[in-house]
Amino acid sequence: MNEIFALVEHRQGIIRDITYELLSCGRKLAEKGNTKLTAVILGHNTDNFVQILKGQAHRLLVVDNEVYEDFNSEVYQTALTEIIKRQNPVLTLISHSAFGVDLCPALAAQLGMPFTTDCLDVELAEQKLKVTRQIYDGKLNAKVLLRENAGYMITLRSGCFPAGESSLDGVVEKIDTPVSAQPDYRKFIEYIEAAVGEVDITKSDVLVSVGRGVKEKAYLSIIEDFAETIGGVVGCSRPVVDAGWLPKDRQIGSSGKTVKPKLYIALGISGAFQHIIGMKGADTIIAVNKDPNAPIFSEADYGIVDDLFKVVPVLKTKILEMKQAKG
Amino acid sequence: MDIIVCIKRVAQTAEADVKIDSSGKDIVKDRLTFDMNESDTYALEEAILLKEKFGGTLTAVSLGTVQAEDTLRIALAKGADSAIRIKAEDFEGLDGYKTAQLLKAAIKDLKFDVVFTGCIATDDYYSQVGVTLAELLGVPHATLVTKIDIQDTKAQVHRELEGGLIEHLDMTLPALFTIQTGINEPRYASLIAIRRAAKKEIKVIGASEIEPTGIQANASLEELFTPPAGKRAEILSGSMDEISAKVAGIIKEKGLI
Amino acid sequence: MNTEVREAIIESGGDDVIKCYQCGRCMAACPWNLLGGLNYATYRFCQRIKLGAIIDSEEKEAIAADTIDVFRCVGCDACKSECPRGVGLSDVLRAVRRILVDFDSYPGELKSVVARLFNSGNPLGEPAEKRADWAEGLNIPQYTEACEYLYFPCCFPAYDARAKKVAQASARILKRAGISFGIMGKDEFCCGEAVRRVGAEKVFQTAVKQNTELFKKAKVQKVIATSPHCLVTFTREYPEYYDGFKTRHAVQVFDQLIKEKKIVPKKPFGKTVVYHDPCTLGRQMDIFDEPRAILKSIPGLNLVEVPVFNREFSVCCGGGSMGLWLDWPQDERLANIRTEQILETGADILCVACPYCLHMFEETMKSMDVDIEVMDISEILEASLD
Repeated sequence: MNEIFALVEHRQGIIRDITYELLSCGRKLAEKGNTKLTAVILGHNTDNFVQILKGQAHRLLVVDNEVYEDFNSEVYQTALTEIIKRQNPVLTLISHSAFGVDLCPALAAQLGMPFTTDCLDVELAEQKLKVTRQIYDGKLNAKVLLRENAGYMITLRSGCFPAGESSLDGVVEKIDTPVSAQPDYRKFIEYIEAAVGEVDITKSDVLVSVGRGVKEKAYLSIIEDFAETIGGVVGCSRPVVDAGWLPKDRQIGSSGKTVKPKLYIALGISGAFQHIIGMKGADTIIAVNKDPNAPIFSEADYGIVDDLFKVVPVLKTKILEMKQAKG
Repeated sequence: MDIIVCIKRVAQTAEADVKIDSSGKDIVKDRLTFDMNESDTYALEEAILLKEKFGGTLTAVSLGTVQAEDTLRIALAKGADSAIRIKAEDFEGLDGYKTAQLLKAAIKDLKFDVVFTGCIATDDYYSQVGVTLAELLGVPHATLVTKIDIQDTKAQVHRELEGGLIEHLDMTLPALFTIQTGINEPRYASLIAIRRAAKKEIKVIGASEIEPTGIQANASLEELFTPPAGKRAEILSGSMDEISAKVAGIIKEKGLI
Repeated sequence: MNTEVREAIIESGGDDVIKCYQCGRCMAACPWNLLGGLNYATYRFCQRIKLGAIIDSEEKEAIAADTIDVFRCVGCDACKSECPRGVGLSDVLRAVRRILVDFDSYPGELKSVVARLFNSGNPLGEPAEKRADWAEGLNIPQYTEACEYLYFPCCFPAYDARAKKVAQASARILKRAGISFGIMGKDEFCCGEAVRRVGAEKVFQTAVKQNTELFKKAKVQKVIATSPHCLVTFTREYPEYYDGFKTRHAVQVFDQLIKEKKIVPKKPFGKTVVYHDPCTLGRQMDIFDEPRAILKSIPGLNLVEVPVFNREFSVCCGGGSMGLWLDWPQDERLANIRTEQILETGADILCVACPYCLHMFEETMKSMDVDIEVMDISEILEASLD
C-alpha cells in the first residue's frame, strides 16, 4: 500500500493540536496497512516544526516558503495538487477545521479523488476506505464507503483520535515549492482577534457557561451573579452570541475558545458537538438541562435535569452557606 | 450584481426523536418537519442584502424533491427573482460531490458575480458542497464567512476560525462564499411577497436536462446506526435542596470553595 | 390596494374581516392594551386586511414588527365578546398566520414547538411512551369500551412535573366518586388547539386524525378534559371531522358529583381563594358558575373575586395560542398585569382551572417574587375531601 499523508496544520507559528490527532490516526492506519506515514509540512521557517514532529511520522515532507506562513487554501491547493500527483499517497488526512473545510473538497475535486469530510473513524483495508460520520444533529452515525480509488482524502473531526506518544525517527525531505505567490483573487490579509473583553475565559479555573436555555439577555445577570459567587466567569455557547447577548470572546466551542477549567458548569446548553469540542478538556463538568436526553449529559460528570433558573438560586445559597461555614 | 444562492430543505432534527427506517439507510421522516437549512437562511439573507445594495438578479437553486419547491418559494418570497429545482428524484446516491456537480450543471450557463451557500447542512454535516462547487465552477471561494464588504469586483471577507480568531481575506469576484450563521438577521417574508411567490414559476430540471453520465458520487451509505452511548453523567436526584448540597459538595471537594 | 392578499386571508378562514367597521371596542377589550404604552391597534387589522395592506411593507424591520403583532394575539376572545358585529379577530389573525406558517415566515420559538408537537405528539417533545407516567401507582385502567369516560389529561399534566399533580388529583377525585374511566396513554396526541391557533393547520389535522381514529376504534363516547383548551377544540372543532363523542371539563363533572353528593368536601380549607377564569373555559365555553359552586361548597374557603376583571372580563394569562412559548420582555407580559389584579384581592391562593394558566402564573409569581400559591381547582377540591 502507498504511503499515508497527514497535513500539518499550523497558525501563527504554532502547530495546532489537531495535527497530533491526524498523525496518531495516520500511524495506526499505516501500521495496519503495512505502510508509512508522511507528515506534510507547508510552512515558513519550518525547522521548529520539523524538530517537534520528527518523532511523529516516518517521513517529513517539507515545503518551506513564506507563501505558506499563513493559510490560504488556494495556495495550499495548488501546491498539494502537485505534490499528491507526484507522490500518490493512498490517503491524505486533513483536519476538519476552518482550515480543512476550506481546502479538502476543492483539492480532492481538482485531483478527481474521492473524499469525504468530518470523519470520526476510519477503516482502510484492501484499498477500500470506509469511514464513520455523524449526521442529523449528531443523533445518528453513518458508515460510508468511498468509491474505490488509488487515492483518497478525508477530514477528521478533532477529539476522535487521541494524540499518542511516538518515537519514530522521521526522514526529513525538503522539496521546492510549486507556488511562490498568493493569487490576486484570494489574498490573506491578516488575522483579527475577536474583540477581547475585560474577561479572558481561557484563564479561569471555574467557568459558568450558558446556552440557549438562558432565554433572555436580561437573565444573564442572574448567571453573572452566580459565577461571581463561585469565583468563576461566564462563557457561553454559540446561540447566546448569535443573539447578541454576550460578546464573541465569551464563546466556547469550535468557533470560539477552547477552555480547560477545573470546573465547568453548563447551564441550559444542549451540547452540540461544536460546543463539546471547546470544553471537553475540563476537569469536572456539571450540566444542568431540562432535557434528560441532551447530549451534554454524555460529556458531563454530573447532571441535573431541571430548569437552570430553578437550580441556580438554590445552588448559590448552598455555596454561600458553605463559604460562610468555612469562613 | 448577479447572485446565485444554493439552499437545501432539511429535516428539523435538533429537538426531534430520530429513528432509523426499515431499510437501515434512511430515517423515518413522516413525523418530522422540514425547513430551510439554518446556515442557508443566512446565505439567502446575505444574498438579498447584496441585491438590495447593488441591484441585479438573485437566483435560488435547490436540489430536492418536489417539496423543495416550498423552500424555493420562501426564497422567492423573501427576495429571489427566480428559482431552479434540480429533481433529486432523478438521481441516486447523492453525496456532497454529486450534489455539487448537479448544482454546477444547473447554474453553469447563468451569469453570476457571487454564489452563496450555507457553511454546513444540519442533516448530513458535510460542509463539502460549497467548496466543491467553487472548484467545479473555477471560481475562488471562502468558507465560514462572517462578513463581506464588496466594492466593484473586490470583496473584503472575514472567515471565522477556531479560537475566536477572524481571518481577513481580499478576494476578487466572481467568487463563492459559504456563510456562517449569525452573519446577519434573516428576515420574515411579507404576505404580498408570499402570494406572489406562490404563483411564480419554478424552473425544474432533471436527468433529461442534465446529462448524468460522468457525474458520480464519492461515497455511498452502508448503514446508519445509533451512536454508542458515551459515558453518561451521574444524574443527581432528590429535592432541589439535596441536589444543590451535593453539587456544592463536589465543588468543595475540588478545592474550589 | 391588494385584493389578492385579502382574498387569500378570507380563503384561509378570515371571513369576518368584512364585518368590521373599526369602532375600536376590540382595542379597548384587548388585554395587551392594559399594558401601558404597547398600543396594540387591534381595530386596524381588519381594515388593513381588506386593503391587502397587512405585512406588505418592503422594509425588513416593518415586516418583522407586523409579523410579531400578528403572533401576539393569544386568542382570548375578549375582543369578540365586546364586538358589536361579532368579529372573531383571533380567527382572522389565525387565517393570516396560516399563510405565514405555510411559508415558514413565523417566529423560530413557535417553529420549534410545532416541530416537536408534530414529531412526538406533544409540545414538550417528550416521548409518547411516557404519556401515561403521571398515572403510575394510581391504578387507572387503559380505556376500554367498558369505561364510561375517557380522561384526557392534556400534554402539560401528562408530562410536566408540576402539572402532573393536577392530573393526579383529578383522577383521584374521579376514583373516589366511583366514576368509571380509563386513559389512553401513548396513543393519544395533543388535542391541537394551540397549534391550530398558531396557524399550523396541517399539524392540527394530524392531531385530529390521530385522536379521532383512536376514539373511534376504542368507541369513546364521553371525555373528561382537564384543559379547557382540549374542551374547546373537542367541542367546537372536532365535530367537523368526527362527532361521536362529547367532552366535559373536569369542573363540570366535579360540580355535578358534589351536587349528587358523590363527593362531599368536608375538610375545612381555611384560606382566601381567588378564582381566575380561564379565557377558554369562561368567555369561550360559558363555564363560570361550576368552578365557583365547587369552591363555595368547600367549608372554610373564603372565595373572593378580582374586582371588575372577573367572569367574562377576566384577563388572559398570556399562555394561549402558544403564547406560553414566547418570551416577551418583562414589561410586555399579560400574566404580570393579571397578577397585579390578583394581588389586590389579598387572596392566599390563586385558583386556576387550566394547565396554561397554572404554568403562566406559577412562573410569574416566581419572577415577580409574589407570595401567592397557585393551585388547580382539582387540588383544592381534593384537599377538602377526607
